[in-house]
Amino acid sequence: MAARPVWLNPLRMRLPIGGWVSILHRASGVLLCLAVPALLYALMLSLRSPADFAAVAAFLGGGIGFLFVLALIWASLHHLFAGLRHLALDLGWGEARGDARRTAWLSLIAALVLTGALGAWIG
Amino acid sequence: MRNVGGARRGLNFWLLQRASAVAMAIFLPLFLGLALSRSPLDYAAWRALFSHLAMKIGSLMFIAAVLAHAWIGLREILIDYVHPLAIRLPLYFLFATLYLVCLVWAADILWGLG
Repeated sequence: MAARPVWLNPLRMRLPIGGWVSILHRASGVLLCLAVPALLYALMLSLRSPADFAAVAAFLGGGIGFLFVLALIWASLHHLFAGLRHLALDLGWGEARGDARRTAWLSLIAALVLTGALGAWIG
Repeated sequence: MRNVGGARRGLNFWLLQRASAVAMAIFLPLFLGLALSRSPLDYAAWRALFSHLAMKIGSLMFIAAVLAHAWIGLREILIDYVHPLAIRLPLYFLFATLYLVCLVWAADILWGLG
């Protein structure tokens, strides 16, 4: 059997909104998976001494550390909302196409808006 | 190398993934509420927060849920994208080891506070 040509151009693929929320659920999950050891390290330092606590707070409060915090806040919120949507779908809630699209948009936007609000509140 | 996973294991992981998700969704808002109600949240307040036994146990259970959830999630992604078992199995093992180390480390951090 002759090999069939496979040509997938990601730029020409139109992912429905549920697909975007799903792939971002994965991406945010991977980000959080990799962040676990770093977060434990920060927890250890923050509890060790007042000087270490101040150093962790200073690092997370500005520059690259703050970007890291924002990325983790977004990843946590997106993963949480997309995950709650998944649990609802497991129970058979919101499976109709219109409902599924609305909850997908809702989880995507809620995570972004809350990340912005929390970032503004902290920063 | 055909039967490295049992037919039921996937179902157990599926259930554990949801159980750990629910546990985290309940614990995290409670923890944030507790932490943010301490004002000002300085070193003394932060340390005092973790001095209670209930907080240590709750935190360790939360971290265990995070680690189990993380490993099962990574397993799912590896199954989708890394097909050769000779690569996938060592990756399972690598992250399982890393996360077990994290669990013991977390216990040490929490109970080392005294």
